[in-house]
Amino acid sequence: MNNTAASPMSTVATSSSGRATGKSTSFTLELQSMMFSLGDARRPLHETAVLVEDIVHTQLINLLQQAAEVSQLRGARVISAEDLLFLMRKDKKKLKRLLKYMFFRDYKSKIVKGIEEDDLLEDKFSNSSNVNKRQKIAQDFLHSIDQTGELLAMFEDDEIDDVKQERMERAERQTRMMDTAQYAEFCESRQLSFSKKASKFRDWLDCSSMEIKPNVIAMEILAYLAYETVAQLVDLALLVRQDMAPKAGDPFSHAISATFIQYHASSESTAACGIEAQSDAIQPSHIREAIRRYGHKIGPVSPFTSAYRRNGMTFLAC
Amino acid sequence: MPYDSYLHMSSNQETFASHLDPSKESSTDVSSVDLSFLPDELNQENTEQTLTEGKQGVERNHEIQGDPSRLQSVSEKNSNGICTDNFNLSNSGSNPLPTENSTLPSPENSSSSFFPLTSMTPLMPVTPVSESSGIVPQLQNIVSTVNLACKLDLKKIALHAKNAEYNPKRFAAVIMRIREPRTTALIFSSGKMVCTGAKSEELSRLAARKFARVVQKLGFPARFLDFKIQNMVGSCDVRFPIRLESLVLTHQQFSSYEPELFPGLIYRMVKPRIVLLIFVSGKVVLTGAKERSEIYEAFENIYPILKSFKKA
Repeated sequence: MNNTAASPMSTVATSSSGRATGKSTSFTLELQSMMFSLGDARRPLHETAVLVEDIVHTQLINLLQQAAEVSQLRGARVISAEDLLFLMRKDKKKLKRLLKYMFFRDYKSKIVKGIEEDDLLEDKFSNSSNVNKRQKIAQDFLHSIDQTGELLAMFEDDEIDDVKQERMERAERQTRMMDTAQYAEFCESRQLSFSKKASKFRDWLDCSSMEIKPNVIAMEILAYLAYETVAQLVDLALLVRQDMAPKAGDPFSHAISATFIQYHASSESTAACGIEAQSDAIQPSHIREAIRRYGHKIGPVSPFTSAYRRNGMTFLAC
Repeated sequence: MPYDSYLHMSSNQETFASHLDPSKESSTDVSSVDLSFLPDELNQENTEQTLTEGKQGVERNHEIQGDPSRLQSVSEKNSNGICTDNFNLSNSGSNPLPTENSTLPSPENSSSSFFPLTSMTPLMPVTPVSESSGIVPQLQNIVSTVNLACKLDLKKIALHAKNAEYNPKRFAAVIMRIREPRTTALIFSSGKMVCTGAKSEELSRLAARKFARVVQKLGFPARFLDFKIQNMVGSCDVRFPIRLESLVLTHQQFSSYEPELFPGLIYRMVKPRIVLLIFVSGKVVLTGAKERSEIYEAFENIYPILKSFKKA
């Protein structure tokens, strides 16, 4: 077993010291906006954003390296969607979410094309097999690696994604109280993504110095995974924060669903005191605790059960 | 005037009822035709929604909102073919109603369909109907196809026609544009043609004919076969901001909203089969229609829903 079992926190430490050698691109501001749209306070803390950026960066770099290894195994010259899908094969829920995202991308381009006359012509120019391109890639690949039929069964499966559901409910609750101006700001924050800043994203990941580079669709997926990592961190940090809040009396409070408690807690606190915006924001300590719990090995066999843990990095996104 | 139509309806209840529910035997028991052909939820759902717009405020709507499964089943019933709100009375061929009804927007038609078929009660509606939204979607783009029914020499066309582009290495069709109506055509060597950019069905047909004439003048025996509208796009503005987060939560079966990818919510309406793009600002784009009525119908369907998610 790999001894350099670097926990995410220590790798965070090393990367931040390495970063002192002048990393020009920083997503801190965008991250603050993103965290707001995912459930954090209106002005997320700068330190939290810096920490989140560090974590996401480290995890993505590691993911890229593993993808490059898989790619080499295949004998391919670029990192493509298949390699990333391969890395995600273990976690069906997350894989399903990624697939849904890819299909939605296809669907959206199909619709928007039908609307814009110019786009229609553009599409005719380019290869018309672009329709449902991502869906085809995903389906073909999963078909090829699926031994037991579980992966392909996912396409038919129509279960509700709990995590996504919770996020939607949280967003709905957040927006209920907003006035028009705040809501407009919120909507703009929600539209931020890593894929919108593709070149900055590439620089941030230092793709140019890699031997095997990711192709366009792989970059799309990486941008999505980066966003998912931020979202997961916020989800977990909110849970941790709620855990930390002292609740008098009720012995079963920890068993009630997280979103339910959050709602009631926040409505009480806003009623009780004038809101101290700072205390509403996610603190770096929440994030650290969330990572610690996520990476925590439980049980005697767990060190041997996951390939990623062997490498010492538990990915939040896959 | 409504008087005539109601009288007609009462006397033709059987045919009327069987039009609405083709699966039922036409009942001879006239007195029992008391809207039972309408599934209860559907009946209530629609009248209640229309009621609250007028009267009780949004409480009921929250109730309705709070039960997504119920909404789902309503919409599923909608898709089964019996959709009272949108039953276009002018659709059925042997409809006994006078054709004037076909010019009224659908919700008013539906109010007449709820009304007492069993007796000649006062013809003023007892339940106030929501005014139709008062907004008419504007058509923005029509895509149509036509078959000129002869093989075409694209190079010759490109050389002799004005405003024609032909780049065989990029794409195997001639792109021709005319200014009135402002449209673009893709002309293929098989004789098939696609016409885009017109703002109405008639204009699209007119433009297609003009393109066909150009081809004719160049010496090809072009005809004008199987003209068909393939897609219509409309847009309008409800003029109030909409809370997309709640809309996507309540109508999960039909909506997808990923603001990182696209700022609008994509709503796939089942009946009629139209895709709507709904934006926070209140702008709505409707696409996927083969007929103008589908766009209007879809908008009238979505309007009360959007109103209930209005950002206060």
